[in-house]
Amino acid sequence: MNARGTFLTRQSRAVQRLWRSKQLVASLVSRNLKVKYKRSVLGFVWTLVNPLLTLVVLVSVFSYVLRVPIEDYWAFLLSGYFVWNFLGQTITSGTNVLTEHGPLSRAVAFPPEAPILAAALSRLVEFTIEMCLVLAVLTIFHHGHVPASYLLLPWLVLLQLVMALGLTFPIAALSVFYHDVQHAVPLLLATLFYVTPVFYALSLVPESVRPIFLINPIAWLMTLYQAAVYYGELPTPTQFLTTTAIAVGLLVVGYGVFNRYARFLAEVV
Amino acid sequence: MDASLAISCRGVTKRFYYYQLRTTTLREVFIRSVTRRPISMRSELFTLTDFDLSVRRGDAVGLIGSNGSGKSTALRLIAGIYGPTAGTIETRGRVAAVLELGAGFHHELTGAENVAFYGAVLGMTRKGLQARFDEIVDFAGLEAFIDVPMKYYSSGMRARLAFAVNANLDPDVLLIDEVLAVGDAEFRQRCRERLQQLRRDGCTLLIVSHDLENVVDTCSRAVWLDKGAMRMEGPAEAVVDAYRLSAS
Repeated sequence: MNARGTFLTRQSRAVQRLWRSKQLVASLVSRNLKVKYKRSVLGFVWTLVNPLLTLVVLVSVFSYVLRVPIEDYWAFLLSGYFVWNFLGQTITSGTNVLTEHGPLSRAVAFPPEAPILAAALSRLVEFTIEMCLVLAVLTIFHHGHVPASYLLLPWLVLLQLVMALGLTFPIAALSVFYHDVQHAVPLLLATLFYVTPVFYALSLVPESVRPIFLINPIAWLMTLYQAAVYYGELPTPTQFLTTTAIAVGLLVVGYGVFNRYARFLAEVV
Repeated sequence: MDASLAISCRGVTKRFYYYQLRTTTLREVFIRSVTRRPISMRSELFTLTDFDLSVRRGDAVGLIGSNGSGKSTALRLIAGIYGPTAGTIETRGRVAAVLELGAGFHHELTGAENVAFYGAVLGMTRKGLQARFDEIVDFAGLEAFIDVPMKYYSSGMRARLAFAVNANLDPDVLLIDEVLAVGDAEFRQRCRERLQQLRRDGCTLLIVSHDLENVVDTCSRAVWLDKGAMRMEGPAEAVVDAYRLSAS
C-alpha cells in the first residue's frame, strides 16, 4: 500500500494507477464540461467573449497607441493568446480543483491526479475549438493559404498540455497545504503575462536581456506557436528540442513534488 | 490473504496530524524559522491503532462505538480512500462504499447524470450501467425526480440514491457508514431486505451503525471500537450487549 521505493518506480507506479483510471478521467472531463455549459443559453460564446474583449483592447492599444512593429498585429496576438489563456486557466484551476473534488474523494477511492488531469483536459477541449477558429481566421485573412507549419500543431498542443500539467500538479498539491498558494498564483500569472512574449515577439526584446526572458518556460512555447501559426515557419531544431526537453523536465519535477503529497491528499482536502 | 476472506486488515495503524487541518500558512513557517522555534506541524490528532479484522466472504460485520472512535476511519481505510500509516489491508473483488451523504454527487447535475458518472467511477461499463439503471431508480423510488438537478433533492433522497447505486452495482464487498439512518421507515425496510439478498448472493457487508437493533438483525459478528482501539470482537449480540452495558 505504501508508495515507497526509488523515484522511478514510484513514478511508473503512479502512471500505471492513472492509466487504469482513464475511464474515470473521461467521466470527469465530460462532467466538467456538462456542469460548465449547463443552464447557460449562450454556452461556449461566453468562453470566447472574455478573451475576445481582452484581444480587442490589446490590439487597439498596441497597434494604434504603442505601436508594436509587427505586421498584422492582430494575427500575431491571436497566434499565442489562447495558448497563454489555456496555461493561465489550467494553472489557476489547480489551486482549487482538489478542494472542489473533496466530497468525491472522501466518498470513492481514486487517484488524486485524476481531477487535475480532467481539469486540464476539459480546458484542452475548449482550447481545441478556439484554436480551430484562430487557424481558420488566420488562413483566410493573414496567410491566404494553409501553411505547412500547421502540421506541427498536434505536437505543440501536446507540449502545451505537458507543460501545463508540470506546473499545475505541484501547485494543486501545495495549495491544499498552504492556502497562500491560492492568493499567490493569480498574482504571479498577472505579472508573468508581461514578461512572456504573448503580445510582443521575443525578437523585439533586446538581445542582452533575452536570456533572462528565456528562463520562463512559457516563453519557449510561445515562440514555437508564433512561428508555426503566425509566421508560417518551422521553428529551428534547437528551439523545438529545447522546448520539448523543458516541458518533459517540468512534468517530471512537478509530478515528483505532487507524488510526495499524494498519499495524504484525501484526508486533508 | 486466505481464500475464504473478503477483507483482511493486519496491524493497521492510521495517524492523523494537526497540519492536516490546513492551519499552516507560509507565514507561520517563516516566523517559526526566524524565531528558531521547532516546526511542530505534525502534532498528533487521532490514531487508529492495531486494527485487525478478518471478514469471511458473505459475512456481515457491524462496527460499533461512540463518536470519534475510528469507525469511519476504518471504513475509509478498507475502501482505499486513506492509506494506512502502518499495516496491510487487503480486499477481494469490487468494493463499493456508501460513506457520505450524497456520495460525491454533483449538485448541478441530474440524478440520472450522477448515476452514470458514479457508475463510471466504480468501473461499470456503459452497457452494464444501462442494464441496471432502471433497477437503481426504481429501488431509490425516485422515478419522478431522476431528471431534476440534485440540488433540489432532500438529504433523504440523496442518501436513497447513494445507497441504491452502490447496492445495485454487484459489489463483492459493500461498506456502509450510517446512511440508512436518514431514510424513512419504508426505505429502511427495503434496504434491510436488499442487504439480506446481497448476503445470500455472496456479498460481504461491513456496516457502521449506531442503530444497535439493526446491527444485531443484519450482522452475524460485530467489532466494538473505543478511542481508536479494538475493545471487543465477537458474535454481534454479545458485543452489542457489552457495549450497551458500558454506555449505561
